[in-house]
Amino acid sequence: MDVQVFVDLQDRLDQESTLREDIKSAITELNKTCRLASAKLAKAHSVPKSQTKEVTDAIKPQFETLRQNIGTLSNLIQPVTFYKYHDMWSNAIQSACSLVVFAIYLDDARLATPGDIQAYLSCRVNTENTDITEFVITLEEYLNAIVSLFNELSRLAVNSVIVNDIQRPQEISTFASDLYAGFQLLNLKNDNLRRRFDSIKYDIKKIEEVQYDLRVRGLIS
Amino acid sequence: MNSPMDTAEDSPQRLAKKPKVHNNKPTDIPMEHVSDSKREILTLFTNYRNTLDAHYDQRERVIKCSRDITALSKKIVFSLLRITQVTNPESVFRDAEKQHAQVLDLFRKISVELQGSNSLKYNRQATPGIQEYIEAIGLWTFLQDGKLISKEQVLERLSVGAGPLVSVTDEDYILGISDLPGEVNRYCINAIGKGDREAVKKCLAFLRLMKEGVNLLLCGGYVRDPDKKVAVLDSSLEKTERAFYSMSIRESEMSARSVSMAV
Repeated sequence: MDVQVFVDLQDRLDQESTLREDIKSAITELNKTCRLASAKLAKAHSVPKSQTKEVTDAIKPQFETLRQNIGTLSNLIQPVTFYKYHDMWSNAIQSACSLVVFAIYLDDARLATPGDIQAYLSCRVNTENTDITEFVITLEEYLNAIVSLFNELSRLAVNSVIVNDIQRPQEISTFASDLYAGFQLLNLKNDNLRRRFDSIKYDIKKIEEVQYDLRVRGLIS
Repeated sequence: MNSPMDTAEDSPQRLAKKPKVHNNKPTDIPMEHVSDSKREILTLFTNYRNTLDAHYDQRERVIKCSRDITALSKKIVFSLLRITQVTNPESVFRDAEKQHAQVLDLFRKISVELQGSNSLKYNRQATPGIQEYIEAIGLWTFLQDGKLISKEQVLERLSVGAGPLVSVTDEDYILGISDLPGEVNRYCINAIGKGDREAVKKCLAFLRLMKEGVNLLLCGGYVRDPDKKVAVLDSSLEKTERAFYSMSIRESEMSARSVSMAV
């Protein structure tokens, strides 16, 4: 008996690890851009609503870089092996999506659709449970990005009051509860998305507390 | 976010939700009283729910089928291990062949769910069954030829008509064959009981090859938590070596005695 079988396997696995290294460095770049963009976008918390447009305009170059980063990553991946390496970039793609979701909320006070994500990131969101033939953003990644929005919204409600905008928490609350109603339509399993979904109620609670504080002082009707 | 309170609060809710009732169909939402933006959100999420449900159902089917393949593969292993109990090994292989046909039926079923990119999407759910199957036919090949089954042979066994029913990744293969030493060790102990020295030699050579090869791969960092597999492999080899050692000692003792008795 010879060990050739193992030597061949080792060769194949070595080739694979080269690919993994390339994927990793593409993800590092993607994460870097995400961090920069999210730092810039966080300024939206410290300005009144009238000035958020400047904040979202300021990260336009980062969205361009994100498109390039995702393009580099997707070029490394054959559609048939997409799910083999998918876990590696899932978090990074989620952060990229959550940037789009937050930016669109700041601009239009609405939920970013899969179409918006594609327009911002040049990558399709796979909203169907079908075989894939290209690099896609999965539905779970998109939904996870939306969960992250709740966190931003609860901060935004608090910070609106700080910049003397006492009407905004009301808007935020309506939007958050509409969105939560959407999430409640999903039959989630005990996975990561479910755990994050369970955390939404704490963000909703924070937003409601802001409203309570305003109302109890007679600042809003 | 992950405070202990979180779990304490969630568990009763989880229990309460256990009987899953699909009472939240889109028609159940009184759409006329909601704002446009809310209606838009609800429509989107209704579609997402359908997609997620389809995905979860498919995953569930793969898990179930994989579990059935595991169970049947274990039966094949047990059938094969009876080889030391019978005079005609062919009868053992005949029985195993019948069970193998049943496993192939299960693979036919699971292959529907594992087409194209779905093959790797649901690999985590499918791999336990595939690994167990590789272990079973690996033992088979070892008993028949005294050789380690190759990945090509695995795919050949899985082929019905044009190509293999499911694709087998290198990880599936490595993890499948790294379970082989345990079974080979079992066979070896049985063979020692029968005093089959040739069989024991065959086992030892095989296990040493496996240790050399599998250790190389498992420790290469390509496989998730290899520690357990390495430990099992090492203990199988050690057990076999000890058993072979006792057998050799007993034999030389016996022959020494018979020599001294002859004198």
